[in-house]
Amino acid sequence: MNGSRSPVSTPAISIRNLTKEFTIPFKKDRLVAVRNLSLEVREGEVYGLLGPNGSGKSTTMKIVLGLVTPTSGSTAIFGCDSRKVESREQVGFLPENPYFYKFLTALETLLFFGKLCGLKGPALKDHARSLLKLVGLESAADRRLGGFSKGMLQRIGLAQALVQNPRLLVLDEPTAGVDPAGSREIRDLILEFKSRGITVLLCSHLLGQVQEVCDRVGILHHGHLLNEGRIDDLVTAENQTQLVLENASPELLAELRKRAVDGGAKILTESRPQADLEQFFLKVTQTNS
Amino acid sequence: MSSPAHSHSLFSGGRVFALAQNTLLELIRMRVFYFMLLFAMMVIGSSLFTVQFSFQEQFQVLKDVGLGAISIFSWLLGLLCTALLLPKDTEDRTLYTILAKPVPRFEYLLGKLLGVFLLIGISVVLMSLLFAGVLGLREQQVLAETIRTTSNPNDLAEAIATIKASAFNWNLVPGIALIYLKAILCATLTLFISTFASSSVFTVLVSVVIYLIGHVQGIAREYWLAGGNGAPLTKIMVALVALVFPDLQLFNVVDEIAVGTAVPMLLFWKITGFGLLYTLVYMLLAQVVFSTKEL
Repeated sequence: MNGSRSPVSTPAISIRNLTKEFTIPFKKDRLVAVRNLSLEVREGEVYGLLGPNGSGKSTTMKIVLGLVTPTSGSTAIFGCDSRKVESREQVGFLPENPYFYKFLTALETLLFFGKLCGLKGPALKDHARSLLKLVGLESAADRRLGGFSKGMLQRIGLAQALVQNPRLLVLDEPTAGVDPAGSREIRDLILEFKSRGITVLLCSHLLGQVQEVCDRVGILHHGHLLNEGRIDDLVTAENQTQLVLENASPELLAELRKRAVDGGAKILTESRPQADLEQFFLKVTQTNS
Repeated sequence: MSSPAHSHSLFSGGRVFALAQNTLLELIRMRVFYFMLLFAMMVIGSSLFTVQFSFQEQFQVLKDVGLGAISIFSWLLGLLCTALLLPKDTEDRTLYTILAKPVPRFEYLLGKLLGVFLLIGISVVLMSLLFAGVLGLREQQVLAETIRTTSNPNDLAEAIATIKASAFNWNLVPGIALIYLKAILCATLTLFISTFASSSVFTVLVSVVIYLIGHVQGIAREYWLAGGNGAPLTKIMVALVALVFPDLQLFNVVDEIAVGTAVPMLLFWKITGFGLLYTLVYMLLAQVVFSTKEL
């Protein structure tokens, strides 16, 4: 799956001093969507771009994909200027709530996007079928997308993003509107892409999911990059320790509390661990299916 | 997964063909060919309602109705289909997915337009076949009737020659070709409008207005060329109208063809060249606007 790698690793995405202003029709004001943004997504990592609605995530992604022109600054994909069409040879993109041509079947959709990437013939057909298998839509190959559920559309979206075997995947809310089981499958796929060496730029509001799959995150707010770094570095409280015990007697717990206080530590919380609601939901639905 | 090899080329006929094929398939699956039923009703209806006329009148009405309907339906089909293309892809965000692939915007526009051209072409061929079929059938009926009622061999030979000359003749083919050309010119103009229009309704309205202007702008051009006596501003306006809007009146040579006048080939090629030039110019203008459009 991996494409050829350059000897010196070029960033998968590099964004330098990027600013994007939109003119508002019939007004002098300009809307600044992105302000002097600089960041790099390293090859092979999963990078999460986080931020509330209107923070500039989608605009940044569109500029990276060459769909929108920056007001100033530059973006590049594996060193190739995003404004050049050839930079998109290396990218697969899944937009938020993707709508594909409803009149096409799943297989026809992949063949269409494959042809746009210069693929053809039996090799393309085989490749399309293997992608359908990868995203679990093998049995729906000849069904029209008009009858697909939200989760199935997301999965065909992922398959089309992968059609030219890109080195970089840009995923905008890949699990939006998908049920927990489907969401879990997409998350597993992202981890699989990572294991194959594909770089992933992920935009999501589901912070739990981002935390599970991303190596690094950047937080955007009003077009500014507020914070960036490895998740562990950003969220780990260096001066705190969590200890989970099994079968601890009341006497042992009392002893531990006493020792902690005697040792100059302060117990901040003490509670019984609870199962994650998503894990519980998946366990219940899988047991009864 | 295998890794199919691929390389980027500045222009790819394969990509354009994939887009054109997909556009054609989209339009066909939208069942746009249902309009053919209306066309069939018009042509067959006009054939049935003219039986009391002389055969020359019958054939004339059939040709007028047939060619007129092919012209209107092909224009309308091109207009409505093209007006939908860009807004639908933008609203459905399929445009993002396509342009996020290594597809230059020019190829996207060209592919979409070629898909519409193919649809119009198929429609014109189907309508022409239906029209020729009804005309041929009517010709056979008139011939049979004439043979049955005419006893003098000399009169019969003359009558058959007159009937054949009044019915289908090959002069109709260049007329149908010009109808097709007019439809693709108007479709390209519609595509250009849709690159900056805010809605499909706006695109359709502007395109219809330009269609109407195109049919009267010959007058403006003549005024301009004759050096009229108006104010300079009026003259500039008239010159602009004459240059910017295509002179669709030129295509009315089809009316001459319908009454049996053979069109000189030089005139045919002049009109063809004019139509292709305007089509190319509108395509390039569409590309200029679309290439800088923020999506």
